[in-house]
Amino acid sequence: MPDSPDGGILRLSLPLSAESVGVLLDRLEAWAETHEIPMTVASRMNLVAEEIAANVVMHAAGATFFAVTAARAGDEIWLAVEDDGPAYDPLSRAEPDTDAALEDRDPGGLGVMLVRRLCATARYERTAEGRNRLECTLAAGA
Amino acid sequence: MEITETTEGGQKIAVLDGRLDTATAAATEAKLTEMLASGGVIADLSAVRYVSSAGLRVLLKAAKQAKSGGHGFSVVGLQPAVREVFEISGFDKIIPAFATRAEAVAGAG
Repeated sequence: MPDSPDGGILRLSLPLSAESVGVLLDRLEAWAETHEIPMTVASRMNLVAEEIAANVVMHAAGATFFAVTAARAGDEIWLAVEDDGPAYDPLSRAEPDTDAALEDRDPGGLGVMLVRRLCATARYERTAEGRNRLECTLAAGA
Repeated sequence: MEITETTEGGQKIAVLDGRLDTATAAATEAKLTEMLASGGVIADLSAVRYVSSAGLRVLLKAAKQAKSGGHGFSVVGLQPAVREVFEISGFDKIIPAFATRAEAVAGAG
């Protein structure tokens, strides 16, 4: 997908790698700065985008890319992440026990929990084109 | 991510500068593992404005490694966005966090 630097919408498609997640964060940070999005909000948006993208990079066997679209609409930030891996709804994952003692804490599931807590809305769909699509909204005000 | 090693009050300090994310987790983990092999570590996160779950995993591993080795592991200078992530994930209950290095050194002693 082409970039749209002046249209206010960020569109980005990247190959699957840990480095791509770094590129995604650099681009989102620059986009947030251009659109004067408060730092705390930008940080939450980055986190949500990274967690979804990282999930694809680490776990989606057979996926070849992930694509991120970000837009600001009034007092909301709208974010969508798509990938061409096997059907998987990350929101179906159980939450970790955040009251467990250090020895018993399991690092799994933290990313999805952060997505759930930081987004106002989050919705998964398997698209007609055979892609996983996670669509989220975040409050744009600090 | 840049990691500088220093000492304060006889305690090893890992000064982290940058994002602790999917792209930087592996290098950060390697450095902390190496430092923790020979004693306790205080991770100064004053210049870390962003930690994702990949970063949390690194800190959890470090805390577990320290505990099993009978050493201390604490963090210093959590920025607001990082503190929010710590609180949501319950890490504020399992990794000691201090406002300053001096307080962390006193806590480790």
